Amino acid sequence: MSDEAKPSPGDSPGLSNGLVSDSDRRVYQAARSLHPSAVKDLLSLGVCERCVFRLVSVEPFDFDLSSVSASTLRRWLDSGDDEEAAASSEPSCSRVCIVCLGVLQFVFSDARQTMVRSDCGSDYAARITDLVKQEGHEFDSFGLEVSVPSTVMENESSVLLYLKGKYNSEGWVQSEKIISVKDALKVLVLESLKASLGAKSDSSSFHIRLTYSKASDGAQGASETTHERKKRKTDEENGSTCMSENSFQKVYEPCSLSVHCNKMPIFFSGRYFKYSRNVSQTRWIIDDERMGEASVEELIGGNILPACLGDSYKFHAAGREDIDVRMLGSGRPFLIEVQNARKCPSQQSLTEIEEKINNSEKKLVGVKDLKFIGSQCWAMMREGEAEKQKQYAALVWMARPLEEKDIDSISSLKELKILQKTPVRVLHRRSPLERERTIHWMKVEKMKGSSNYFLLHLCTQAGTYIKEFVHGDLGRTSPSMGSILGCRAEIIQLDVTDVKMGDS
Amino acid sequence: MEIQKTEAAKNPETDDTIESTKQKQPEEELEHCDEEDELRSLLLSDIGDLPLSPPSATQVNFVSYFITDFTKPGHDQYIYRHANGLCVVGLAPTHVAFKDQGGITNIDFNVGKSDRSVLKVSGKRKKNAMRSESNTALCKVSTANDSYIVRCCVKGSLLEVNERLINQPQLLNSSADREGYIAIIMPRPADWTKNKESLITLEEYKEKKEVSL
Repeated sequence: MSDEAKPSPGDSPGLSNGLVSDSDRRVYQAARSLHPSAVKDLLSLGVCERCVFRLVSVEPFDFDLSSVSASTLRRWLDSGDDEEAAASSEPSCSRVCIVCLGVLQFVFSDARQTMVRSDCGSDYAARITDLVKQEGHEFDSFGLEVSVPSTVMENESSVLLYLKGKYNSEGWVQSEKIISVKDALKVLVLESLKASLGAKSDSSSFHIRLTYSKASDGAQGASETTHERKKRKTDEENGSTCMSENSFQKVYEPCSLSVHCNKMPIFFSGRYFKYSRNVSQTRWIIDDERMGEASVEELIGGNILPACLGDSYKFHAAGREDIDVRMLGSGRPFLIEVQNARKCPSQQSLTEIEEKINNSEKKLVGVKDLKFIGSQCWAMMREGEAEKQKQYAALVWMARPLEEKDIDSISSLKELKILQKTPVRVLHRRSPLERERTIHWMKVEKMKGSSNYFLLHLCTQAGTYIKEFVHGDLGRTSPSMGSILGCRAEIIQLDVTDVKMGDS
Repeated sequence: MEIQKTEAAKNPETDDTIESTKQKQPEEELEHCDEEDELRSLLLSDIGDLPLSPPSATQVNFVSYFITDFTKPGHDQYIYRHANGLCVVGLAPTHVAFKDQGGITNIDFNVGKSDRSVLKVSGKRKKNAMRSESNTALCKVSTANDSYIVRCCVKGSLLEVNERLINQPQLLNSSADREGYIAIIMPRPADWTKNKESLITLEEYKEKKEVSL
């Protein structure tokens, strides 16, 4: 969508110099003030008009330059001998710049290898806007990043070396003050880009990256560049201050441009429930074989990701439970991190996602309190909100019938210290250690019709191995439910009923 | 709380007349009550038919193997292999030591070149673990009249020995298959595949020794 309503003054017929606005006049005056023979030299070498301004002008590089077309600029730069220039400028100004490789000429090869040329900065911004919009991001501010091939910098230093060699005695060549191609491009297009995207520019969480890469970056191109580089190197080593005009090769193809958009990760928090004993917390695949029928991670992430139109997601939970342990009661806090989200779902649609998960047919997993949070909450969850206490309900079998005195003795134990050796079931991957853990309290609930079974409610310090506390793990956890009852005890099943965080 | 719940359900019209601030509190309590109820029903709904005697954690988590008459007659040992590859080694019920009057009275880990109970294995990589061969001596158990060398049975890294047995050797007599285990060894997968050929299964053991377990 080129902005055709806006006149591109350089091409307005009838005006000999196209000076319709103040900015044009300023550019015209700047053009006329440049060192005429240096300008002529550079133009004949194949340096583009805007690069000439960049390399020769002592004035700061200006946004005004973006509204003047290359051919107009050429006329103004050349206007010493108008007639001759008019004849020769058409073919030469359509050549690709030997320094910026077309970047500042607003020329690039698109995805189909077709050469795309824009007259002025606003046209160019419109093209970039189209490419950005294809990515489908929602944003109200952006940061602009530009990446150009390294040969651009090399070409620039060669040209500067050439200029210095020729005009150093005149003292106006100042290679330190020169604005880089990247920054020059930003100066030229940023304002127009802000207008056409309808967004502010800042160092925001959303980045637009313009990546220019050399068209001939193939195998043949590579050998060429190393050859050029070698040549340049030997020239520099020879202390040659005078680059020969022949050392600049013509460029026939502009850079190819690709536009990438990247949104910094966004985060959602909530609490999850796990109603199945065959669902793992995270995706668990061993040798292409899935353990369990699904995972909490995928059931939640898989529903949030499409709502954000993101590339990928990461699931972070405060602690975890075994695949055969359910997570009930309070639910467990989690965060979902979405990479490159194109939109941020409203609270309304988050509630809908919640309902969708909660009403799914299999009811494997549930979610509550799903909400969008700022990315800074991440550190808070990691440090301040570490799980402190956990509450469980364990179905326990004991080798003899449960008696009233057992119930009393179990419930009288408060802040019971136990010693746990690393359980056999994880000893293959964990360090062999003996850890002290605290059982804060226990309550016994009798089961109707089976005196060898009871439901044990217990609250423990985070990190306690509950299964091992019940069956004793070959006596490696002590005391254990078995040793307290004085008979063999087995754990049939386990549920987490509450996860208490550090700040609650 | 039960009463509040039914009242609210019965008189929806009177509810409307109550000021919203007053209404809030019972609602919150109701919600809490619902959550508790929901949790209770979830906890209980999942409990299926309860077997008279459920399989033990050892039976569920380990596969039982045996080696009989190892190096000497009546030297029968069990090897319980966990799904994670670790092997728990101990004395099989038919071990000759249990036939002696009074059973086992003492255990000594100071056999071979080093005392097995002194080695301290550390870290995830199990530094300092002794490398065992199938016939490496693990300990010596003594009865009133005799003593018997118990062997590792598994080629691998000796992760730990059951130090409780030093002070409570009677655990070997009372629960050799649980608290009376002797050692935990981690074999390399390739070694285990080979090692397994010299062992017999629980069924084969029962048949051979004519015991019921």
